[in-house]
Amino acid sequence: MSVSVMSGATGLLSLLSEPCQNDELKCHALVNINKVVDEYWFQISGSIASVEALYEDDEFSHRELAALVASKVFYHLGELDDALNYALGAGSLFNVNEESEFVNTLVSRCLDRYFELRVKEIEEKQEVDIDPRLTSVVERMINRCCEQGQFEQAVGVALEARRLDKLEEVIAQSADSVKTIKYSLAVCQKLIINRGFRQQVLRLLIRLYEGVPSPDYIDVCQCLMFLDDDKEVATILNKLLRGSKDDVALAYQVCFDLVENEMQSFLIKVQQHLDVLMPTPASATPTPLAPSVQTEGDVEMEQSDSAPPAASEASPLLAASNDTDANVLAQLGKAKDILSGKVPIGLYLDFMYRNNHADLLVLKGIKTAVESRNSVTHSATILANAYMHAGTTVDTFLRENLEWLSKATNWSKFSATAGLGVIHRGHLQQGQALMAPYLPRNGASGSPYSEGGALYALGLIYANHGHDVRSFLLNSLRNTSNEIIQHGACLGLGLASLGTEDAEIAEDIKNVLYSDSAVAGEAAGIGMGLLLAGSASEKAQELLSYAHETQHEKIIRGIVVGLAIIMYGREEGADTLIEQMIRDQDPIIRYGGMYVIGMAYRGTGNNGAVQQLLHFAVSDVSDDVRRAATLCLGFVLMNSPEQCPKIVSLLSESFNSHVRYGAAMAVGLACAGTGLKDAVSLLEPMLSDPTDFVRQGALIATALVMVQQPETRLGPLRKRIDKMIKDKHEEVMCKMGAIMAAGIIDAGGRNVTIGLRSQSGYFRRTSVVALAVFTQHWYWYPLTYFLSLAMQPTALIGLTDNLQMPTFQVECTCKPSIFAYPSPINVEKKEEASKVPTAVLSTTAKAKERAKKKEAEKKGTVKLEGDKMETDEKAAPASASTAGGEEGKEPGNAGGVEAAAAVTKEADVTGPYTLDNPTRVVPSQAKFIRFKAASRWTPIKSKVSSGILVMKDSSPDMAVDLVSPQVAAAAPAAVPAPTVPAPVRPPAQPVTQTEEPPPPEPFEYTP
Amino acid sequence: MTGTSTAVSSDHNQILPLASSNAERSTAHQAVTAIVALIESAVKNKDARLLAGRLNRLISAVRAQLTPQILSQFFASSLKGEEANSTRSFLVGLVVNTSTNVMQVEGMEHVDTDLGVHSGSHTLPEIEMVAFLLALTYFIDQEKFQQAKSIADAAVTRMSAFNRRTLDTIAAKIYYFLSLSAEGLGTLDSIRGTLLGLHCTAVLRHDSVGQEMLMNLLLRNYLHYNLYDQAEKFRSKAQKSDVFKSYQQYCRYLYFVGRIRTIQLEYTDAKESLQQAVRKAPTSALGFRVAASKWLILVRLLLGEVPDRQEFTAPGLHKALQPYLELTQAVRSGDLVAFDKVAKVYNTKFRDDHTNNLITRLHHNVLRTGLRRITLAYSRISLADVATKLHLNSAEDAECIVAKAIRDGGIDAVINHELGFLASKEVSDVYSTGEPQAAFHARIAFCLDLHNEAVKSMRYEPDAHKKLQQWSRKERISPEELAKAIADDDEEEY
Repeated sequence: MSVSVMSGATGLLSLLSEPCQNDELKCHALVNINKVVDEYWFQISGSIASVEALYEDDEFSHRELAALVASKVFYHLGELDDALNYALGAGSLFNVNEESEFVNTLVSRCLDRYFELRVKEIEEKQEVDIDPRLTSVVERMINRCCEQGQFEQAVGVALEARRLDKLEEVIAQSADSVKTIKYSLAVCQKLIINRGFRQQVLRLLIRLYEGVPSPDYIDVCQCLMFLDDDKEVATILNKLLRGSKDDVALAYQVCFDLVENEMQSFLIKVQQHLDVLMPTPASATPTPLAPSVQTEGDVEMEQSDSAPPAASEASPLLAASNDTDANVLAQLGKAKDILSGKVPIGLYLDFMYRNNHADLLVLKGIKTAVESRNSVTHSATILANAYMHAGTTVDTFLRENLEWLSKATNWSKFSATAGLGVIHRGHLQQGQALMAPYLPRNGASGSPYSEGGALYALGLIYANHGHDVRSFLLNSLRNTSNEIIQHGACLGLGLASLGTEDAEIAEDIKNVLYSDSAVAGEAAGIGMGLLLAGSASEKAQELLSYAHETQHEKIIRGIVVGLAIIMYGREEGADTLIEQMIRDQDPIIRYGGMYVIGMAYRGTGNNGAVQQLLHFAVSDVSDDVRRAATLCLGFVLMNSPEQCPKIVSLLSESFNSHVRYGAAMAVGLACAGTGLKDAVSLLEPMLSDPTDFVRQGALIATALVMVQQPETRLGPLRKRIDKMIKDKHEEVMCKMGAIMAAGIIDAGGRNVTIGLRSQSGYFRRTSVVALAVFTQHWYWYPLTYFLSLAMQPTALIGLTDNLQMPTFQVECTCKPSIFAYPSPINVEKKEEASKVPTAVLSTTAKAKERAKKKEAEKKGTVKLEGDKMETDEKAAPASASTAGGEEGKEPGNAGGVEAAAAVTKEADVTGPYTLDNPTRVVPSQAKFIRFKAASRWTPIKSKVSSGILVMKDSSPDMAVDLVSPQVAAAAPAAVPAPTVPAPVRPPAQPVTQTEEPPPPEPFEYTP
Repeated sequence: MTGTSTAVSSDHNQILPLASSNAERSTAHQAVTAIVALIESAVKNKDARLLAGRLNRLISAVRAQLTPQILSQFFASSLKGEEANSTRSFLVGLVVNTSTNVMQVEGMEHVDTDLGVHSGSHTLPEIEMVAFLLALTYFIDQEKFQQAKSIADAAVTRMSAFNRRTLDTIAAKIYYFLSLSAEGLGTLDSIRGTLLGLHCTAVLRHDSVGQEMLMNLLLRNYLHYNLYDQAEKFRSKAQKSDVFKSYQQYCRYLYFVGRIRTIQLEYTDAKESLQQAVRKAPTSALGFRVAASKWLILVRLLLGEVPDRQEFTAPGLHKALQPYLELTQAVRSGDLVAFDKVAKVYNTKFRDDHTNNLITRLHHNVLRTGLRRITLAYSRISLADVATKLHLNSAEDAECIVAKAIRDGGIDAVINHELGFLASKEVSDVYSTGEPQAAFHARIAFCLDLHNEAVKSMRYEPDAHKKLQQWSRKERISPEELAKAIADDDEEEY
């Protein structure tokens, strides 16, 4: 063969064109060509036609060999499709298992083509005929993966190929089927774009899960929730509740996780099914509280005053003679309490109150810096206060500044009243009582603004858990013809019954809508959307046609935003509506179309949606539409925050200021709470944009991104915000943005983040919807309060299987200073720098400094913020607010130092430190949290270190040491304590001074 | 290898040279550390462009200073971890074997002792490959092709384990040295299969840098054995991007294309390619410019053009192009005797240049040029006289050659067969035709083309516009601040 190698393949090629009939000669030539094809393919390619002819020739005995040679030549020529065709023709000669570049390339090409065809067949319902040889290669690949134990690859191929049968086979074959199922589940959630297919896969996976001896019920239930299969969830919960102690704990954990996803209507259905499944009639709800009340501690106590069924339990308890039955029923009751949101909300409320670190000095600084005559900055300050204290029930600031507060008039008053709702968010037991002074009452005629605001506030308090206030809100709506009160009532109703699709409420809201009043209609549109959130209800078309009829822009805008919320998460299901809206003549409807795309494809990263939005962002004639399109990119890209800055980076340099604003907000929304460097560096130049509202957007977005970041990163931002607020010449818009930003970065007493996802990685509907409405503040300031709904407490709360809070500690393996609460020292410095302190303040500051010096002497030169400093911090604002100065400070110090003595020693070193049970765990901190190996308490759910965790007790016989009685006693008793008088006495006054009669004593409101 | 006592004594004896070499070593050491740092940052940022430019510069800077000692120190300090172990021992082994100096060996032993310190951590594949590359440059510079070849082979084998785009530029360099060492050994044909395989891989991985390099190496490989046909087939069939990533590779490619075209008698295309190759070649690439100029001169002569004298006397080219200058003079004068003489005198030189077959082709051109001179000088001349002037054997020969020249359009004349003479046609006034306009147009088109190409090949930094923006923003803000300052003053007054 050396001759042929020397002269290239020309000699061999000439053999192919020999006219002789004998196959042997040609076969000999082909065999040799096949050997040298890698070196002489460029020569062979000249006479490829003759090789092809041999393959086409049915008479020829070695057709497959000819195909293989042709395939190799085409492969070298870069014609991979032709190469693949011939390789398939080569049959067994094309060895899939061979480890060569040729085979690997062609096999991957083969897979790609197969996937493409299958997607066309399954998702686009087109008639395609798939080459059976193609299918067989793909199946061979899957089998090979399985044989080599690469089940994850096999799952990937099967899913890409849309082959459920293969997926099932792979999982059945896999060594560790639970692991494989888990992997499939994760892939399915993250990577499959088509909703329909995703649901099919989920169904299959659930079926397979049930075949496994010990399924992961948490995952299963999440899946089922995704599929909206309430019956199955109820059955599983029922089974678990009747099981062993661990099973019950698991059931509770499942409930907590379900609640986190905030699908109110689903949860209600699950509760109903649970009732049906239980032995005794549901109406009796025999929750034997008698034994549990003593043991359940703060949680139950807290609820007891608001749980009306509690009273009726006594008699059925006697009937439930069977002890185990009683137990089961008790557990059912608890599960239902969790599902209804009472327990988790109560726990979070307690946590937020306990750990409130909002710094009143910041607020004071803002208040003194802005002019109270300017209503925009004035109400922004009230808003910032609401953000900072969201969900903490602490309204000290309002109480101290009644006169200042009373400057809010008209719609500002509406907003200010709504702010109370934000502060008391989640206070389900007392909420209505708290708001009572402002609520509309029969006979007494108050200001419509405060009444409307109060209704809105009620909605914010009871958002997503509104069955208690539903009838009250509905009555309020029916009894009024004032459009301001209607406005508040519509928003309140929408929030309270978010996503419940309550027909009665829908009817009433529709009536308001059709009354064609601009102010009420706008809220009615949004309210309707909230009520039907994510339902893709047929009412959508009706609403859209009304949007075409009405003359009021406000109503149209309200309706289209409502439509967007209705289509939440429907993906392809919303395509018809999107198509209708984005082709509309009216820019406001196109504006809504953008929001529909954003909401329907929220967090999917769907290419089609992104393309459509980008198209509108650069080509629409209306600035509003372009802004909305850019902004909605943020919603679509929520699942991959790191992508968003890249995609909008060009838009952020657009000449059009509206597009720039949209880009800033998009980054803010998509990267909320992540603190991504890319996002911050993209927003940074926009903070000095020439256009005022772009600066405002950039400020808000930066705050959203940076919330709860380590103080080293937040510090410069705080300074910048501070400077903007205090700068006399700054535009009002920017000042407003800066004040809002100040509120957002310290939101919820520095204990919340903008939580778009639950622990399990699903999107929280309330949060995303709330953000969408929040972005409407461009047109309507009161909607800024919606942001509070997206705030998610970042807590680690461990519970026993009795839902009590035991004392235990977790370890955090990093420097304590990284995730510590920011110290109030900064604030004092800031105050000195800005030279605004009043006489009182400066003495307080000095007193504090003295106190601090003493403290420093005691501690040596330790300068860190561990658990101990937290105690001090809490004392600090409290002392400042009560103007007690040193007296207030001393006891706090004494207690703090003593308690912290141990901690200081540990904190000196940079190593791990411990945190006590209910503790703040910032998202980025979660990966450092360890449960001590030797600890008595271990979480039921593994690999998770924040949120509410039900813990397993390794020594159940020992007495349970509950969270320190001092604080615990304070919590249940104190939660109402400072709050009940709060609204009723002082915060009532701001408004009272002008209009309201003195409020009555606190009482249970019964409408 | 050596006892400590000898090492110590040698240390004492050579204090002075050691001191100087120490200083040298430290600069070289710094340079090597800079390379490592560069690679690490480039890999971290996934910036292949940084590697392409800066790395080459750093390596060529350190190239002259490389000693076995520095090399082995570098291997020991930068090749860490399990995976790089075999590479390190292989390279250190090779380097140690080649160095005979006692002192250097001493240095190496010292190096061997701290091997243990570094093992355990992980080495970037890029750094491993750069280690290969540095060793290669060292051996190539020492003209130890055998060792270089073995290192290059080992490097290529090791490379097949990785698929990283940041490796591309380093890999391309290694391929180049592989080919160079094979050429030094005279076994260029043996690596052809390897290169083809690598080229195929590079195409599949969209490794354009490697692909361009390998394409040129293969063309060089084929042309080395005068396999012009295969080279052309490969060139036309192989996949390549329209625009070359690397400027240097593009020059080489143009040169090879020019050579192929010349052999295929497509002189116009060949001239274009070669001309571009010469123009685009960097000034420092003297050898390349010489080689390309030679071919360009020949092609132009074959086309009947006469290159300017300046082209031969350019700095650096003067000596190398001397034979070609004489050749040109012979062709220009149409003097067959002088031509034959030049061809004979420089025969070996032309053979080395692979150009002697072109010289043979030129013979015909010499005749034609002579003929043209004759037709210009004489309006009418007998064929016998032509024969004597051109040193041809007979008037019949002359008639044949003249007839062919007329048919080819080389001269504008008529043969009178009865009387046996050649009559030139009257030269018409060029300026009465469209010729000047066409020539002018061609030049304008060329200039425009050049301008467009220049614009196209300009590269901006990815965020160059941001600086501009910031600057303009400052400009914009300053009047506002001015206004603010004024307002402040006003307030103070009141």
